[in-house]
Amino acid sequence: MMPIRRDKNGEPLDETDAALQAWALAWNQMLDTGAKAIKSNSFLADTKQSDVEIATTPADTVFQIDKVRVLHYHALTKKKANTPPVLICYGLFGRQTMIDLQEDRSLVRNFLNDGIDVYVVDWGNPTRADQYLTFDDYIDLYLGSCVEHVVEANGGKPITLFGICEGGTFAAALAALRPELFAGLALAITPIDFHGEQDEFWRGEGFLNSWIGNLDEDDVDLLIDTYGMLPGAMTGAVFSSLTPIASMTKYNIGLAAMDGNEPAMLNFLRMEKWIADRPDHPGEAARQWLNELYRENRLANGAFQVLGETVDLSKINCPVLNIYAEQDHIIPVSCSKALGKFVKPKLYEEIGFPGGHVGVFVSRKAQGVVAGGITDWLNRTQDNKPKKTKAKL
Amino acid sequence: MANSDNGFDQMMDIWKEGQDAFLKAQQEAAENFQKTMTPFFEQSGNSPDEPFQAWQDFIKSWAPDWDPSAMIKGPSAAMFTQSREAFMTMLDPANWTKYAPEQLREILQSVAQGPQFADLATPHIDAANSWREALDYQKAAADLSKVLQESWTRTYLRFNETHSLEDLQSGNVQEALDVWLKSANHELLETQRSAEFMDAQKRMLRASVEIKARQRDLAEAWSEAYQIPTRSEIDDLTKIVHELRRELRQVKRELSSAKAKSKK
Repeated sequence: MMPIRRDKNGEPLDETDAALQAWALAWNQMLDTGAKAIKSNSFLADTKQSDVEIATTPADTVFQIDKVRVLHYHALTKKKANTPPVLICYGLFGRQTMIDLQEDRSLVRNFLNDGIDVYVVDWGNPTRADQYLTFDDYIDLYLGSCVEHVVEANGGKPITLFGICEGGTFAAALAALRPELFAGLALAITPIDFHGEQDEFWRGEGFLNSWIGNLDEDDVDLLIDTYGMLPGAMTGAVFSSLTPIASMTKYNIGLAAMDGNEPAMLNFLRMEKWIADRPDHPGEAARQWLNELYRENRLANGAFQVLGETVDLSKINCPVLNIYAEQDHIIPVSCSKALGKFVKPKLYEEIGFPGGHVGVFVSRKAQGVVAGGITDWLNRTQDNKPKKTKAKL
Repeated sequence: MANSDNGFDQMMDIWKEGQDAFLKAQQEAAENFQKTMTPFFEQSGNSPDEPFQAWQDFIKSWAPDWDPSAMIKGPSAAMFTQSREAFMTMLDPANWTKYAPEQLREILQSVAQGPQFADLATPHIDAANSWREALDYQKAAADLSKVLQESWTRTYLRFNETHSLEDLQSGNVQEALDVWLKSANHELLETQRSAEFMDAQKRMLRASVEIKARQRDLAEAWSEAYQIPTRSEIDDLTKIVHELRRELRQVKRELSSAKAKSKK
């Protein structure tokens, strides 16, 4: 019920005055929004693609196998952490540039500033020529070879592997198959149990799991057989539909709300640039991802195989840090936390980030919680510094 | 259909099937016409407008955009245009699908399931399949759209419950917009979780991929006709290279493992 409107002296307004007041308020709000939209549009008109830069932290390619490269980042400080090098492995549904989106929101820079030696896997740009690559290739051959290279660069000593999203699933599988290579395993927003605890899903959670679970094996096969790849445009459209109103309003209400604010607009455009650069997922690997993992949940059921060898997650034998996002609309919390059922409790730690899937890397809050949390975990569990023993008095 | 190895018998059978399908469609159309006209014929004392109305309803069921009254308004340009467009609409097979999709689907299915012959081209089978797939896509898109449309209707009702007309009269547009978006988000998320939505989404995915597969087949036929390597041929080669590389890597791995063992 609308409260009775009153004038400055607290006297009730008559109906005509009330209508005029409402009309004036509506016009003011609409004009205000219009003015903001004009400022944002004007900023867009003056901005070129080249003004929107992402992944600018300098790095060299130190290893390559087929299209897959390992990037080694230049040190940004003289400080050197006493922890093993960290190799970061993103998934195939997006690019690794997410972890170095902009200078003040860069996981890579945060690590470098803490003196950590950082390597990153770049999966390249898969085309139909790569459609027959399977998880055997991605986990054992490609990721395995990248890890071997960094281990070799580390003088043959084990390293820390940090897997993100699908890359986290690859990392967990490799750590279970070849535990001798790893001093630590960090995962972020990584699905392990692809069915999750469906009774615990909140309203926007678990759509991917339900939608893919509703498909038949034949539907997935028809899709992959027809396209050869899982098109990036298709996965992008699916991801957008997970947050329908946010997707519908980002280019109108969202842009107007930014009021032409340069930092906010540039943050938005960098994110758009990253989203637009969504690669196609190699077909056979996508078939496995959808059928073997999402539909059949083979990893959590102990039936997932790489090169004929079953992946037993309980064989992970290094400290594990598992980071999940509490409002993740892509990977449900329970799908990530399931790793805790497999790893020995004394080796296992979790960080629940109060944000969404991508927010784990790009939000301001994440810079402290996630990057800081990983550095802290590295220092506590993998400090290589020789321990000083106190002389007995 | 008779099970005969005789090519002539088979041709006769397929011709007969086609005839049957055509006659069945004619018969059903005649029945529909009769049903529509019956009220006039059965009742006495009808006003002079009733037969025209019944006829108009029947025509409109097949060509809703047609305005029969244009025909009796005199020879004007508008009448000519409208009548011509409506007539062309009735001739365009794409429009038939809107008004009798299930019937048409059955006919197409029966044509598509006809036999193939070694020395006779069967373009009608491909055409029937393509048409059936287009029909499925159209239906799947309409079904999904219906589910989403219902969701927006619920959003509107929900918005009405939480935001009264008096609230709107306050002039607070921003608040009204926020409530509207919140309601819409709530309803759309609920809808996206429903079995109805997921089934419609699944049928839509299937239908759109089938169309894509048909396009690929056409592109293959075109490439073949013009001596251009087809997608399938390139895919075959890609697979061969992929498997060869995998075998090579395996052999290399075994060799280096054997070398390491011999050094020990």
